[in-house]
Amino acid sequence: MNRLLANRSIRLVIGLVAPAILLAWWQWFATTPGASAVALAPLGSVGSAFLELANNGTLLGDITATLGRAFTGFAIGASLGVATGTAMAVLPLLNRVLGPLLNGLRQVPMIGWLPLIGLWFGTGEGSELIVVCLGAFFPAMLNTHAGVANVEQRYLDVGEIFRFTATQRFVRILLPAAMPLILTGLTQSLAFAWIGTLASELLMGAGGGLGVTLQTAQIQQRLDVILVTVAITAVLGFAINQIIARVRREVLRWQPVQY
Amino acid sequence: MSAEPFPRPTAERSIAVRGELTVSDLDKSFVIGGQPRPVLENINLTVRPGEFVSIVGASGCGKSTLLRLIVGLDDQYRGEIRLDGERIATTSLDRGIVFQDHRLFPWMTLEQNIELALLNTDTPKARRAAIVAEHIALVGLTGFEKAYPHQLSGGMAQRAAIARALVTEPKVLLLDEPLGALDALTRVHVQNELQRIWLAQRSTMVMVTHDVEEALYLGDRVIVMSPNPGRIRRIVNVDLPHPRDRRSPLLHRLKDEILAELTGAPTDTPANLVHLPSREPR
Repeated sequence: MNRLLANRSIRLVIGLVAPAILLAWWQWFATTPGASAVALAPLGSVGSAFLELANNGTLLGDITATLGRAFTGFAIGASLGVATGTAMAVLPLLNRVLGPLLNGLRQVPMIGWLPLIGLWFGTGEGSELIVVCLGAFFPAMLNTHAGVANVEQRYLDVGEIFRFTATQRFVRILLPAAMPLILTGLTQSLAFAWIGTLASELLMGAGGGLGVTLQTAQIQQRLDVILVTVAITAVLGFAINQIIARVRREVLRWQPVQY
Repeated sequence: MSAEPFPRPTAERSIAVRGELTVSDLDKSFVIGGQPRPVLENINLTVRPGEFVSIVGASGCGKSTLLRLIVGLDDQYRGEIRLDGERIATTSLDRGIVFQDHRLFPWMTLEQNIELALLNTDTPKARRAAIVAEHIALVGLTGFEKAYPHQLSGGMAQRAAIARALVTEPKVLLLDEPLGALDALTRVHVQNELQRIWLAQRSTMVMVTHDVEEALYLGDRVIVMSPNPGRIRRIVNVDLPHPRDRRSPLLHRLKDEILAELTGAPTDTPANLVHLPSREPR
């Protein structure tokens, strides 16, 4: 069994079994006459909707807008999160001052901020970006804080023995020792940024993007467009996850391989 | 602390004595549950330059605490600890230490881990790589420069830790049960390595261990400590030239004596039980 999974192409094929079954079921379900035909469009018409969106440029525009929003929000939110988490771990006073407030605020789900942000900043693209930033901020902040604050004393002792300066201690001990947790935070941040992007696009509908198209398609009752967009969202999200998993493996190659 | 001269940041090469460690009237206590609890009491000890001193004792006799104080990770003590006349208040590149756990940084290769020790020395950057390579060779790890700690065996990692501690050429090397976590075979092997390194470098070494045999095999003197609070119970001179033969009758006789001392049994009983006049046991 495990030898079977060790082969790269066999692993790929096995991974494609479930999606293939889903598609077959989908096609059967959509082409069976009756009420179910309304729930799913046949693969053929989904395919032509895909071509239609691709040819008139909507698809590329949407993907660019959504990815741009997700990554901009992720970059801003996550870097603020890593910076805040680090600062709070290094400065106990700051942790005491900001800790309770931030831990309270993070209990509000990302979507819970929408009405407030809508009232303050309107429902434009700026507000959408703020939601994404907020979503990306907290996981990065929390994990970075945990990582930097809990670096083992035995490693810090080594730094003291070799007379490390504060900067050396930070760059050569605290940061690398916290890196596994920081990367976990960034992975979560990216997932939250992705959710935040789609949610804010759906709910605010500004500036184009996959969420905006979904919203419009629902109003126009374009089942095929909805299905194409959902599929694209799934594929993009999957690709992003693969990339970050790869980055993580690369950065943490000093860790023993975990199975 | 107030009346003391400022510790000098760099090693004074001009000074004649190199690596003479003196501990006088040392008392140390920890506060446990609001109550001060003495861990070390009235420790007096002079380690001569270039000498190898082993410290043995039951767990809880404060032997690791003593090393932490000497290396300068803890400055809460009464009494005096001096290296070549200078009072110890903080860590210094003059004093190296090897812990029971190797404490190599898992995120760095063996080479980077060792070079790290040179970060704040005045060793020219251009010479560092050569010095690191030299010390990797000294502990027999050539070929593993690019390995991460998790790719090394326990014995290799511990040898790497010894190289890291030696690379700054400290006047005193402190060894805190450095071989405690190794299996018996690896242990004997690294003991031999340690003896070879010490013979080559001739720096002062102080090793804490709970293995009496190891203490005797390596030490010029063996300090026997008793617990609660930690005191020096006896100092045993091991009057044998290095490198030593493990089968030496003297080492075995001393081992029996020290074990008897540590376990509180009458001195002659355990020795007589197994002693054969014509053949040494084992």
